[in-house]
Amino acid sequence: MIFDLIVNEEPIHTEAPADISLLHFLRDHLKLTGTKEGCNVGECGACSVLLDGKLVNSCLILAAQANGRRVVTIEGIHAEDGGPNDLQQAFIEYGAVQCGFCIPGMVLAGEALLNSNINPTRAEIREAIAGNLCRCTGYQQIVDAIQATALKRQEKGRRD
Amino acid sequence: MTDRQFIGKPTNRVDALEKVMGTARYTADYYLPGMLISRCLRSKVPHARIISIDTSEARQIPGVHAVITCDDFIDHGRFGFPIVDMYMLAYQRVRYVGDPIAAVAAENEESLQAALKAIKVELEPLPGLFDPRQALSPDAPLVGEKPRDAEGYPHGNLLIDYIVRQNDPDAVWKECDLVLDKEYTTMHQEHAYIETEASLAVPWPKSSGVTVYACCQSPFLAKNNIIQTVGLGSEDVRVIQPYVGGAFGGKDDTMYQTIAQTAKLALISGRPVKMVFSREESMISSYKRDAMIMHYKIGAKKDGTLMACQFHGIVDSGAYAAITPFTAWRSTIHAMGPYRYQACSVDTDVVYTNNGFAGAFRGFGNTEVCFASELAVDEIAYRLNMDPIDLRLKNCLRPGDTTSHGQKLGDDVALAECLQQVRKLSDWDRKRKEFEQGDPARIHPGELRKGIGVAAVFHGMSLGAEGKDSAVGTLRINDDNTLTLTSGLTDYGSGSRTVFTLIAAETLGINPSRIHMLRPDTDTAIDSGPTVASRATVLGGNATQVTAMRLDAILLNAAADLFHCQIVDILRDGENYIGPNEEPASFDKVVDHARQMGLTLSTEGRWNAPENHWSFESGTGKPYFAYHFGAQVAEVLVDTGTGKVEVTGYWGVHNTGTVIFPQGILGQLYGGITQGLGYALMERVDFDKGFIQATNFDEYIIPTAMDVPEIVGAFVEKPFSDGPYGAKNIAEPSLVPAAPAIINAIFHATGRRIQNLPANLERVLIGKDLRKEGSNTACKLGLHQV
Ligand code: FES
Ligand code: FES
Repeated sequence: MIFDLIVNEEPIHTEAPADISLLHFLRDHLKLTGTKEGCNVGECGACSVLLDGKLVNSCLILAAQANGRRVVTIEGIHAEDGGPNDLQQAFIEYGAVQCGFCIPGMVLAGEALLNSNINPTRAEIREAIAGNLCRCTGYQQIVDAIQATALKRQEKGRRD
Repeated sequence: MTDRQFIGKPTNRVDALEKVMGTARYTADYYLPGMLISRCLRSKVPHARIISIDTSEARQIPGVHAVITCDDFIDHGRFGFPIVDMYMLAYQRVRYVGDPIAAVAAENEESLQAALKAIKVELEPLPGLFDPRQALSPDAPLVGEKPRDAEGYPHGNLLIDYIVRQNDPDAVWKECDLVLDKEYTTMHQEHAYIETEASLAVPWPKSSGVTVYACCQSPFLAKNNIIQTVGLGSEDVRVIQPYVGGAFGGKDDTMYQTIAQTAKLALISGRPVKMVFSREESMISSYKRDAMIMHYKIGAKKDGTLMACQFHGIVDSGAYAAITPFTAWRSTIHAMGPYRYQACSVDTDVVYTNNGFAGAFRGFGNTEVCFASELAVDEIAYRLNMDPIDLRLKNCLRPGDTTSHGQKLGDDVALAECLQQVRKLSDWDRKRKEFEQGDPARIHPGELRKGIGVAAVFHGMSLGAEGKDSAVGTLRINDDNTLTLTSGLTDYGSGSRTVFTLIAAETLGINPSRIHMLRPDTDTAIDSGPTVASRATVLGGNATQVTAMRLDAILLNAAADLFHCQIVDILRDGENYIGPNEEPASFDKVVDHARQMGLTLSTEGRWNAPENHWSFESGTGKPYFAYHFGAQVAEVLVDTGTGKVEVTGYWGVHNTGTVIFPQGILGQLYGGITQGLGYALMERVDFDKGFIQATNFDEYIIPTAMDVPEIVGAFVEKPFSDGPYGAKNIAEPSLVPAAPAIINAIFHATGRRIQNLPANLERVLIGKDLRKEGSNTACKLGLHQV
C-alpha cells in the first residue's frame, strides 16, 4: 500500500506492505536506523518514537496507523545547527550513555516527558522512562540528565 | 596526585555524541545492496540423535541462495575454548532446545521461512539430563562426549573439577563454637543486552575472502574460528566490530557460531548475508550465567573469629562447556570469600546437562559463590549476636595477609576501608537500631518492614592463572597531527575507549580530542586476548600507557634536538614543550621536527600481567596477581502481606585504585548494582525439562528505572602499583555483592533467610516455592518466532 505521512518534518510518500509495523517501516524502508528493535513485543522501549507528540512503541503500531500523522524519530531530535539539543547534550555530560542501544528511546521518552511536565520530580522521571529498559547504566545518570535539562528549560522559560 | 590534566577529571565518553544523535551504527543497522537475510533452524527438543538432515527441497525454493549444515564446515565446524566441544551447526546430536541445526540465507522473509520449514530433520529422541545433582549417578543419561566407564558411570558428564586446599577443616570443627551447615542455590541469569545477536558477512569480490561485522566480545577469536572451520587463510578474513549494544560476557560462543554461519553463507551465495536474532531466539539459544548448587560448612569462635570453611559446589554448564571451565575456576578460587581462615577446602564439580548452556557473565563465577558465602557469614554474625560489619572487619583480608590459596597479599588491599566507609555513608549503625530485627513469629501479615544488609567482595583481576594474560596497544601520529590509537580489547559499552584515550592523552601531555581510537578491527588492531573478566582497564590501560610512553620518548628526543638540550631539561606546559632557552615549541612543531629527523611516529606497546601460578593438583598457588575489594549496603522495604521487596537505598564503596574516568566508573557501579538487584529479586530463567520458561521481556523481568533506588557510590583510591596510573578494574565486582547485600537486608527486615535466588514473592513471604512453575509452552511459542 501507499504510505503518506510526515517523518521528522519531511513528507514521506512511499509504498510498503500493508501489514508492516511502524518500526520496520522506519528501519527497513526509510533506513532511519536510530530507532532500535529490542523485543518487538512492546516491552523494552528501544523502538520509541513520537507519534503526534506522544511516546509510542513503534513495534506495536502498524505503519498504516501512522498514515497521515506526524512521526518524530531520534533523527528528528537535534539543535538548530544539527548538533545535539540540550537534552542530548545533558545525556553526554552526565554520563548517561553506555552501550547506547537504549539511548534513542530514552531521549525520546525524556522529550515526551518534558513536553508535558516541565518540572518533574526524580520519581516522575523514573516513572516516565519505566517503559524503556536499559541494561547498562542503572538509570541514575539518565535521570540526572533529564532533571538537569528540565531545570535549564525552566530557567530559559523564565528568561524569555 | 593533583597535577594530572585529564585522568580523574570530568570528561565526556568519546562515543557519546553518535549515540545520543542516533547515528551510531550497530550491526543490524547496516543495509547493503543485494544483502540476504538468514536464520537458523533450531532444535525443538533437548536431546536427540540426528539421523539425517535433508536440505534438498529447501534449496529449491525461489529466493533461497544457500542452506548449510555442519557438513559445510571443516571437521563439522568443531570449535570451543578452552574445551573444544561445540559445532558451528549441530553434529550427530542436538543437546539443548535451541541448538542450531541448519542455516538458510534468502532474499526475503517468505523464502526464508519456507526454506526453514522445508528442511527435513530426522531425530531419534534421547533421554535428557536436567538435574545437575544426578549428572554423575550411574543411571544418568550421557550428555558429555566421553563414553561410560567399565562400571557404567557417566563420567563423561563431568566436565572438569577444581579444588582449593588449606590445612584440613575436619581438624578444626571441634575448636569452633558455632558450625553453620547450609545449602544455597542460584539460577541461570540471562544477559539481556538490549541489542540481540547480529552478524553481517560480506564476501570479497573475485576472491575467497570475507569481512564480517558483528557484535561479538572478541573479534580475534571470531576470526580464528572462521579460519579453522571455514578453511580460509588469515589474510582472507577480517572481523570488524561496530558499536555493540551491551554484552556483559554474553557475546562470545553463540556469536562465534553466528559469525561462522554467516561467513559460510556469504561465501556460498556470493552476497552479503545478515543474521539478526529475534529476542526469542536470543533468549532460547544464547548461553546464560550458570546455575549453581553450593554447600557451605563454616565454623567460628564465639568472639566472631572465622575458623574453617568447607565448600562443595556443582556447576550446571548445560549442553556445552563454553567458557564455564574458567568461570567455575573463578568460583572455586573465590568460594571462601575475602576472609582469613585457618583451614579451607573447596571442591567444585562442573557437569553437563541439557539445560541450555552456560558461559561468561559479568562476575564470572564469583557472583554465585559471593551470594552464598556472604549469606553464610552474615548468618554467623546474627547467630553470634554480632554486628555483620564488625564480624567482617574482624576477619577480612588486610595488607600482608595470606589467603586460603597461600598467596601473600600486597599493600593495595583496602577492604577494611571499604567496609568502614560504607558503614558511614549508609548511616548503618543508626539504621540497624532503628529497623529493629524482624522475627517471623511476631510479624503481623501486611506489616511494612525495613531492613539493612551488607556484603563484601574480593575479585581477582583479569584472567589469572586461567590463561595467558597480555594486551597490546598501538599509536600513530597521522599527517594532520591527530593520533590514532588501537587496542585489541573491545568496548561494548563499558567505556574502555574513553579510558584508553585519557591514558594516552595524559601520558603524551596532549589534548584527548587529538586522539581517535579505532573500533576493534582484526586488520588494524593486535590480538589482545578476550575482553572478559574486566581486563580492559588494567591490561588494555597498561598497554596503552606503554605505547604512549614509547611515543613520548620519541617526541622528547625530537624536542631535545630542536632545543639543542638534554631531554631532562625539557618541561611541558599543556601541549607545549619548553626548553632551557628558546621560545616554547608547540606539539605540532615538535612533531614536524621529528618527521624532519626521519623518526618513525608510530609505536606498539605490550603489557604482560605479572606471573601467576596455580597447582590444580594441590589446590594452592597465586591465582591472580591482585584483587579488587568492595563493600555494599542495601536498604529494603518488605511488604509482609505480599512479599514485595522494594530496595529503598543503596551504597557501594570499592577499592578501585585511581579513578581515571569518573562518570564512567560511576556508571559501571550503578549498572552493575542494577543487574545484581535483578539477579536478587526478579530475574528468573527456569528450565522445565530443558525448555526455557521465559523468552522475552514480558516474562523475563529486568529492573526498570522504578525498581532501582538512588545509589551512592564512593571509591577508595589507594593507588595500585600494577595498574595504569594506579587504577584497578570495576565492571564485574560492582555487580557481585549486590544480591547478597539485598538478601541480607531482607533477613534483617523479616528474620527469614532466603537461600535460593531469586527472592520472589513467595520465597520472601513463606520461605519456599508454592508450586512448580511453568510448562514448556512458553518456549515452544517462542520457538515459532525464532
Ligand atoms: S522493540 Fe518495541 S518495545 Fe521493544
Ligand atoms: S546504555 Fe546500554 S542499554 Fe542503555
